[in-house]
Formats: sequence, structure tokens, C-alpha cells
Amino acid sequence: MLTKIFSVASIGLKAIDIDVEVNVAEMGFPGFGIVGLASKAVEESKERIKTAIVNSDIEFPNKKITINLAPADIPKEGSCYDLPMAIGVIASTGEVRLPSEKSYFYGELSLDGGLRHTKGVFLLAILAKEQGIKNIFVPRLCANEASVIEGIKVFPVDSLKSLIRHLNGDKLIQPLITIDKEELIFEAEPEFDFSEILGQEQAKRALEIAAAGGHNIFMMGPPGSGKTMLSRALPGILPILTEKESLEVTKIYSISGNIPPGGSLVRRRPFRSPHHTTSQIGLIGGGSNPRPGEVSLAHRGVLFLDEFPEFNRHTIEALRQPIEDGNINISRASGSVNYPAQFMLVASANPCQCGFLGDTKKECKCNVHQILNYQRKLSGPIMDRIDLHLNVPAVDINKLMILPDKNENRSAKSSDIRKKVMDAREIQTQRFKNTNNLYSNSDMKNIHLKEFANMTNEANLLLKQAVNKFSLSARAYFRLIKVSRTIADLSASEAILDKHVAEALQYRIRSESV
Amino acid sequence: MRYWKKWPINQINVDDERFPKYLKSIKTCPKKLFFRGNWNSNIFEKTIGVVGSRRITRYGRDVIAKFVPTFVGNKITIISGFMYGVDSEAHKTCVENGGKTIAVLGGGLNYIYPPENDNLYSLILENGGLVLSEYEADFKPTLWSFPQRNRIVSALSTIGILVIEAGLNSGSLITAKIAKKQGKKIFSIPGQINSSTSTGTNWLIKNYNGILVSSPDDILESSFKINATQIDLFEPDLSEIERKIIGLLKSEELSVDELSIKLNLAIADISINLSMLLMKNLIEEEAGKVYLKN
Repeated sequence: MLTKIFSVASIGLKAIDIDVEVNVAEMGFPGFGIVGLASKAVEESKERIKTAIVNSDIEFPNKKITINLAPADIPKEGSCYDLPMAIGVIASTGEVRLPSEKSYFYGELSLDGGLRHTKGVFLLAILAKEQGIKNIFVPRLCANEASVIEGIKVFPVDSLKSLIRHLNGDKLIQPLITIDKEELIFEAEPEFDFSEILGQEQAKRALEIAAAGGHNIFMMGPPGSGKTMLSRALPGILPILTEKESLEVTKIYSISGNIPPGGSLVRRRPFRSPHHTTSQIGLIGGGSNPRPGEVSLAHRGVLFLDEFPEFNRHTIEALRQPIEDGNINISRASGSVNYPAQFMLVASANPCQCGFLGDTKKECKCNVHQILNYQRKLSGPIMDRIDLHLNVPAVDINKLMILPDKNENRSAKSSDIRKKVMDAREIQTQRFKNTNNLYSNSDMKNIHLKEFANMTNEANLLLKQAVNKFSLSARAYFRLIKVSRTIADLSASEAILDKHVAEALQYRIRSESV
Repeated sequence: MRYWKKWPINQINVDDERFPKYLKSIKTCPKKLFFRGNWNSNIFEKTIGVVGSRRITRYGRDVIAKFVPTFVGNKITIISGFMYGVDSEAHKTCVENGGKTIAVLGGGLNYIYPPENDNLYSLILENGGLVLSEYEADFKPTLWSFPQRNRIVSALSTIGILVIEAGLNSGSLITAKIAKKQGKKIFSIPGQINSSTSTGTNWLIKNYNGILVSSPDDILESSFKINATQIDLFEPDLSEIERKIIGLLKSEELSVDELSIKLNLAIADISINLSMLLMKNLIEEEAGKVYLKN
């Protein structure tokens, strides 16, 4: 008897319909075969299905079972076909009544017949809505991911047994109530608040500018100066995730299995800090079955690369394309996938290998050759794509202790800074509303600067002087204008004044000398 | 055309207290000056004469584009002779950057020479500059009147004169020689030894105590000092905050945060003023600390 169950496969960030055709033949030797470009994980599900069915007190048919995953030319990955295949086998023996409406089944089985957390449920729910499919049966642990999509019934399934009871009408599973997306999207508490960080007011101001204009930022300073802590606090001053952004991020997190059991929409801006030994594929994404890398997991959030010069040179250079384009295209023989990767890059480095070059208290123990080698890694095209460059000097502990009251008064809270950032972003939204793909000042290309920069003559004069004084390259010149534009937006000034350029100059690229 | 005519011609006599004192001190001081534009004594305080060949090369243009904006940014008035070539380029770059410039003509104020500078004449006046001459309004410039006006260009230049490009036996060298007699500093831009427009400037450096300059900072450094001992030099143009920052840096090097706490000012304000001080070549930065330049 032939049964057809519906499920989905995901290619990149898109889900596609998969028909799971199960045939239990009366004739022939008993056996169990899966066809349709099934990967190893799918092959192995035979054993899981067999055991789970038996452990759910149903007899496993001792017949020739053939399963086809159609369309047969798309590679099938993962363990999510356990449930549709098991239901198909049971239905073929007549132990269960299949629902009359078209439904999706999705999930990994455990040997005892329970359902495990399975990645990609969010994408399945989106496809179900697009295809007009009313019912989806997914593991309870990841059912919340689907519950934000309106117009579909999400049935959280605990085990194979409970699903069979439900389908036979013995004991019904209550579908989840759709969660209102707007209710979910609220201001998540930041990991660190800026007011918790003592001192480093200049760095905080730089991060405020970076957040307001979506600029990439580079921090250089000795160990223990607070670079990591500052970066971790950055998501807290970025604008709150919009519904659209949250859905984008949730897609990536769902497909990579990064949503914790019971979790739903991603509400906090991502903060990713891959270790410097991360491979190129780990950072950019890829593999024979392309998976999103750290740049995509940091989509709409912050990618923090600590110890920047320690990263492999090729890994760093591969960042160039996603920084420019905001997405990453991975092509394989089996097809190509596109993952979004719009992130703010925060890179940090020590001034030299030992970390104390230029420190007033501690002596640097590197020799000239080592320092040159270290700094050579910091030059190059990738640094040219970072708008704000900043020195983070070590904080003198004595000064921190003397001035605790003063510091407390001075340090603004993350929520207050976020308000300023969001006001500046609003100005940018208005400015770029008639453009195609500009969202923030950092997105501006050179041709846009003519139209949007709006510099006063004094500002222009100062800029010219600066170009001469610091021998700035053309790229550095345009970067300076972009940062000035953001600083002007932060003070709600329509034109770029000379003082805005002057402040931006503090964050120019510095060529360190030995 | 002739838009500049709407500015009236005024006259100032040597016994007027507004008459520039540097000009008064030379032996061949003119009895009176005719001028168009707003006479404001401030314009004569910090001035540099920019002179050079009538045949300007690309090199000369580049040098002017590099130097003049910095002068304007430091509120230095550019003085030149309104001749074509280097003179015109210096005036033009100055007004393009919104600076004040003084053109000393070799003829009367109604007699425009070279004629293609008609528009520049108006631009100088519009930007608050001056066009002046020792000759009556309709005096036609002659061969001898051009070198004559050079002594005024030199005398009015308080910082010194900057020779951009000059051949040997050129008018610019005459100006340089006059300047030396008047005790002015001569700044000279070096050039390739086989370039005919640089033989004069190279000669000045080699034989005439000309100061070799390769960046506008060279001139600022030799003219502006914050050391109290050198009172003969110019006071740099500092805002109150900038003055306070310099005061604090005299005792120790400080970070931006420390300055912000000590002066009780926002980071943004400190940053703005530090950039300005950096542009004025008074401070240095290293590893996040700000040092006073000495």
C-alpha cells in the first residue's frame, strides 16, 4: 500500500516541499530502503524509526518497505524526516488515520518514540503559510518557533504515541495559540550596560557614533583596557530589532539550530564573537552542504573579532565581500545558496604582540621586527573598510577609585544612548527613503556623498587641511565625510559643520610608528 | 564684468593710525594707499606673501593647493601681486576656501591687468579681502611699476614670503631680495634641479638663507610657538578650551577621558578641540594619550 506524507527540506534559507512516499509491499523479501538522495543521517533514521515504532507498542511490518523522498534530485539532509517516514510506515499498515487536510510532519525521533528538538521549524511554518497548509505537526520543543506565524495550526507533538492517538481521534493534541509578534518584540535587557563600565568615555562615544551610522569600528588597546566589555555592551545601544529584522534573524537561527528548546523569535540583536582560530568556512559559511557562518549568524547584529591580527589572513580577507554586499553567496555543485550578512564589524587588537607598546606604566618586550610584523597584519584592504579607528588606553585603577562618584554621574545608561542612536537612525531613514538600498550613513557610496553630505564651506576647508596634514587617501577622505555625517545626525544638524569634521578626525586611521 | 566697480575707491594716508605699521617702517613707504574693500586692521596682523613665476606649472598648482588651505584655516591672510601664474592661483585658492587675501596691484585700481582676472577681483572683495595700490585709480601699469609694488607685498607680509616657483633673474627673486633687506623670512619650495621654474627657489635655499619648506607645518612651526620665552613669534589663534587643554598638557600627557574629567566637558567637545590643536600642529597623539609638541 502506498502512502504519501508531506514534509519540507531547506535549501539555504528557503524551505521546499518534499513528498515522503512510503510503500509497504506484500510481496518480496522483508527489507527497508530509502531512495531520493538521502544523506547518511537520513539513512540512519531506519534504525530510529524501527525502534521508535516498536517502543510505541506498534508492530513493525515485516514486509518490503520502500521510501522515496521526492523530488529525488535534491539532496536530503538531517534527521527531520524521521517523523514523516514513521507515520508513513504506520499508516501503510492501517494503524493510523491520516488527516484529510494536507499537513506537514517534521521532526527527529528518539528511540523511545519521543520527539527531539529539530532545527528549521520556523522555515517550515513560513512555507506552510505560503502554501496554504493548515496543520503542521512538529516536536513540542521547537513548536514555539512556528507559533508566531498566523493562519496555521501548530500541533506540538511529544511522542509518536501521542501523535497516533491524536490522529485516530482518541486523545486530541491542543494546537498552540498564535503568539502576537508585536508582543514578543520588546526591549531585551542588554548583556552589559554602558553605565556599568567605568571610564573609557571616548570609546563609548565612538561606539555611539558607530551604532548611529552603522559604521564598522576598530579598537586598539592594551590587554585589560575593556575592549571586549565595550563590544559586548554594543548591542544594547543598537536600535531595537524590528519585526522584519527579527524574522530574518530567526530564520538563520532556526536553520542553524541555534534557537534553544522552547524558544521563539530572536529578540535580541545577535552578538557573535568567534575565536581567532575559526576557519574561513566557520566565519563565512559553506561546507559541502552549505551552512551559515558567523557573519550570517551576526546578521543585524554585531560581529566581534577579538585579537584581530591573530586571525588567519585568508579568513580576514574573505570578510571583504560580505562587508561590501551585506550577504554571502555560496556556490556548490549541488546549487548555490545566499545567506544575509549585514553586520557591524567590531575588531580589536593589542598594539603589539605583548600588548604594552606605548603604555606609560609597563614596558613593551617586543623587538622592532615583531612589532612591524604584528602591525603589518593590521594594514590592508580590510582596515580600509572600517570607518572608525580608536585607541583604547588602559584605565588607571587609581584614577577609577578616586573618581567613582564623578564617573557614575558621567556614564550614560545604555537605554539613554540607544534613544539618541534611534533618533539619528530616524534622520537617516528619512534621508534615504527615496533610495534603493541605503539604510544608514555607512551604506553611502561615493556618489551618494555629493547628494547627502551637505557640508559647509568651513567643514570643507578643515577637511582639505586634514587631507594634507595626515596624507589621507581618497578612501579615508570619504570615510571621514561619512562619519562626520553621522556625528551631525547625532546632534540633529542638517549640515555637516566644521566641528563635526573635527570630531570625526579623532577616529581616523592611524599609522602606528615604532 | 567689472562687478568690482560697485566697491568705491578709498584712500588712506601714511599718518592715519590705521595705516599698516609694517609698511610704515620701510624707507620707501608710499605716502598714501588707494584701496577697494573693507579696511579692517586685523587683516594685516598675520600675513604671508605668496609669490612666484608667471609661468605656473602643475607642481606650483599642487603646492598652492596643499599650502593655502592650511593658511586659511589658521586665519592667515594671503598677500600677492595679482599677476597671472602663481599670484592669481594663490589668490584664487584662498577665496575658494573662504579666506581673506590682499592683492597689491602694479597699476591703478581701475586698470585691471591681467584682464582675465576680472572675476577674481570681485571674488577677493566679496570674501572680505582688499585690493590696493599706491597709484592713482587710472594709472596704467608700466614695466617699472610692477617691481615697485613688490616692496609693498613684502613689507605687508608679517610671517614672511613664500616663493612657490621662480626662475633665476625673475621678479620673484627681486621680491625675495627686497624681503631680505626688510628683514623678512624667506620660505622657498625646493624643486627639481633641471626645472627652469625651480632654479630660482633652489638658488634661494642654497645661497640666500631661504628656508626650505616641504609642508605648511614647517612655516607654522617656525612662526607659532606656545613657549612663553619666544615672544617675538606669533600667538597661535586658540579658543578658550584649546588654551585650557594646552595648559593641562604642559604638566603631563593625558588621555581624552582624563581631559574630559578635568575640564568637565563632553568627550565630543574635547575631541573637536583636540583635532583643531592637531591641525595647528601644537599637540601629538600616541597610544591614546595626547602630548604637547615641543
